[in-house]
Amino acid sequence: MSDTTTDPVGSRATGAPDARTRRIPASRSKPKKNLFAGVLLAPTLIGMGIFTIVPIIGSLVLAFFRWDIISRPEFVGLANFADIALDPTVRVSFLNTIVFVVIAVTLQLGIALVLASMIQERLPDWLRVFFRSTFFFPLVLSAASVSIFMGYLFNEQFGVVNWLIGLVGLAPVPWLTTPAGAAAVVIIVYVWQNFGFSFLLFVGGLGNIPKEVYEAAELDGASGFKKFINVTMPLLSPTTLVASVMAVITALQVFDQPYVLTRGGPGDSTRSAVMVVFESAFEQLEFGRASAIGLVLMLLIMAVTYVQFQLSRRFVFYQ
Amino acid sequence: MKQQTGGLTATNLTRRGLLTLGGLGLAGVTIGSWPRLTGSDIPGRHADGLTIAILGNSADAEGRRGLAEEFHREFPEIKIHIQAIQGADWKDFFAKILTMVAAGNPPDIVYVATEGAQLFADKLAEPLDHFIRRDAEELREYFDDVHPSLVEAYMYQGSLFQLPIDWNAADMYLNTSTLQEAGMDRPADDWTQDDFTEMLRAMKKSQGPGFTPFYWTNRLFGGIVPWLYNNDTSFLTERKAPGGDWLWDGFYPDDPARSTRGGGFIWDGSNALDERVFESFDYMRELVAEGLGVRPEGGGGTSLVGLFSSGRVGATPAGGYWAQGLHEAGMAEDGFDVQFFPKNRTQRHQFGTAGYAIMRTTENKDAAWEWVKFAARRESMEMAMPSPTTTPTRRSMVNESFYAQTGPKNWQVFYETLDRFPTSAPIPAPPEQAAVENALIKNVTNAVSGSSRQTRSALASLDRDLNLVLRSGR
Repeated sequence: MSDTTTDPVGSRATGAPDARTRRIPASRSKPKKNLFAGVLLAPTLIGMGIFTIVPIIGSLVLAFFRWDIISRPEFVGLANFADIALDPTVRVSFLNTIVFVVIAVTLQLGIALVLASMIQERLPDWLRVFFRSTFFFPLVLSAASVSIFMGYLFNEQFGVVNWLIGLVGLAPVPWLTTPAGAAAVVIIVYVWQNFGFSFLLFVGGLGNIPKEVYEAAELDGASGFKKFINVTMPLLSPTTLVASVMAVITALQVFDQPYVLTRGGPGDSTRSAVMVVFESAFEQLEFGRASAIGLVLMLLIMAVTYVQFQLSRRFVFYQ
Repeated sequence: MKQQTGGLTATNLTRRGLLTLGGLGLAGVTIGSWPRLTGSDIPGRHADGLTIAILGNSADAEGRRGLAEEFHREFPEIKIHIQAIQGADWKDFFAKILTMVAAGNPPDIVYVATEGAQLFADKLAEPLDHFIRRDAEELREYFDDVHPSLVEAYMYQGSLFQLPIDWNAADMYLNTSTLQEAGMDRPADDWTQDDFTEMLRAMKKSQGPGFTPFYWTNRLFGGIVPWLYNNDTSFLTERKAPGGDWLWDGFYPDDPARSTRGGGFIWDGSNALDERVFESFDYMRELVAEGLGVRPEGGGGTSLVGLFSSGRVGATPAGGYWAQGLHEAGMAEDGFDVQFFPKNRTQRHQFGTAGYAIMRTTENKDAAWEWVKFAARRESMEMAMPSPTTTPTRRSMVNESFYAQTGPKNWQVFYETLDRFPTSAPIPAPPEQAAVENALIKNVTNAVSGSSRQTRSALASLDRDLNLVLRSGR
């Protein structure tokens, strides 16, 4: 006779387990949980597969072909890579991009950190909210629209910026028509539009630093600057790492601002790596070459990010 | 005690119920947006009839709806879908058309300007020769009304690929009040480049700060090319393909320039190191250095309408399309005038034109040809161009009444540009036009912004870039 027939407790006598004490064997619950998680993740995974993974694989394959969209792709081996290695425009565009990243990211993080520190100090809440919104606002604008607008502002003959410069008796600056001026405008517009994101990260990071640490530093006689160097910077280093990694990855892909403001000119002075990818693919119909350049850029981004994380072991402190 | 009703309420909604609701909602949204998800809401996709792609926005498509309806009345069996595709310029538009081709959804007909004529002829468009030969009598009236130079711009390797509908030459627009304040009259038809320089000097002298005598943009049309053409040179080598006699002998036997017509232009080499190219660039450099002209800026020159109409610019190259633009900007019809481009070694002008190209991939080429012919009729062109937003290719339409509301006084200049200077040529646009244009634009500003030595260096860079582009394209 089975246990169920001898169990004196009603529900168990029929073999139905008590709902409150029901235990599902681990081997049965795991697949169900996995299925549930899979259902929830499926849309994202499918989207990533279709719109990210497949294009990446397609681009990797395409880098070894010559293809103009219309004709059949022709396998050319490493010819696209040899071609871009010899192309001075590609070399200059990568050099421009690296110089741009160094200057723009330094400015972006520097300005964001200074402003975040300033609004963290002795400001009423409503003013903090105002500044957060104001500094973040450019990020939600279309980069193309902003660049068109900025193009008018920086026009050499009729722009407001040169008009203001003229008010103090200085000669008009050829902003968009000289290599240095054009590069400066691209950096200014890019940093203005993007520093808000780093700024918000720093505001969050600063808010997480315990006040007791500052109080202890003050008891030890630390001044404002020393507190910033010895307390704020080390404790903000995880945030700085995140902000710098994201800023570098984004800046390495700069396209909109130089494309709209200067079309990469004068000469190649503001041509970025992504611009060369775009021009190769959609203007010169060399999709294989564009894929090869894109692949090199992806490797560069991965290498830079790897170096940043390696360096972070030395400079990042976790509480 | 709360009564369980068995229905779903906020308090008794189970996880499974929530998921079910969510799933139903998702299914509903998916079904509701299915046309968008599959792209079947795009005009013309998976539909019968002809899809015609034009550069522009929905308002431009709407503007041609009347034309499409008129066509449909005459050919009720052919449905027309006008698909407006936005782009910053023609190059951008062509890139989007190519993307549609790659996606397996090419339009049947595309409105193509000179910039893309050889790209389409080389890779995408159907030659019209057999259609034209078949309907020669019907088309004779069209060719009689359209200048052969415009037709020649669409010849490629001996075949004709489009019937031009609208066009513009790079003539010189002049601000009449600025001219008067400088104590000058409208220049003579055969004015020279030196006369032009003197005019700019006089304008600068008579105006205060904030005034620019000559404003030009860094692009093909109205940029450096007209100055190369009037110096009897170009940045690309230029020759004619053989063939095309069937067209010229059939429709233009009395053309004074018949002997120069061929099977279409060939631009297949760099000419950037030609001494005349240097001369033209150096002239522009001197204008910039003297403050008579600006360093050329990128873009399409939209802001230029405002600058010119407000009297801050004295002269600029533009086509007939500017008449309506300046009128809309508030300029009186006598506030501006137009004259031929000044003469240097020659007075050869640059022009651009546009028309419909039939895609090779279309399944109904006969229907597409009916549209091309229909669009080239005078009444169709009048419907498509009710105001001078561009110059019609039909000589008979470029008349007093067309410019009555807008000016300029000397509107005859627009068509006479072709009559007076029959060797005038289209924008140099080989099949690799996008890359060629990039190479030119990228070096122009450097070439005119420093010393003569810098000009030579920029032209060497242009030569290198062009050689790379044209070699890879062959």
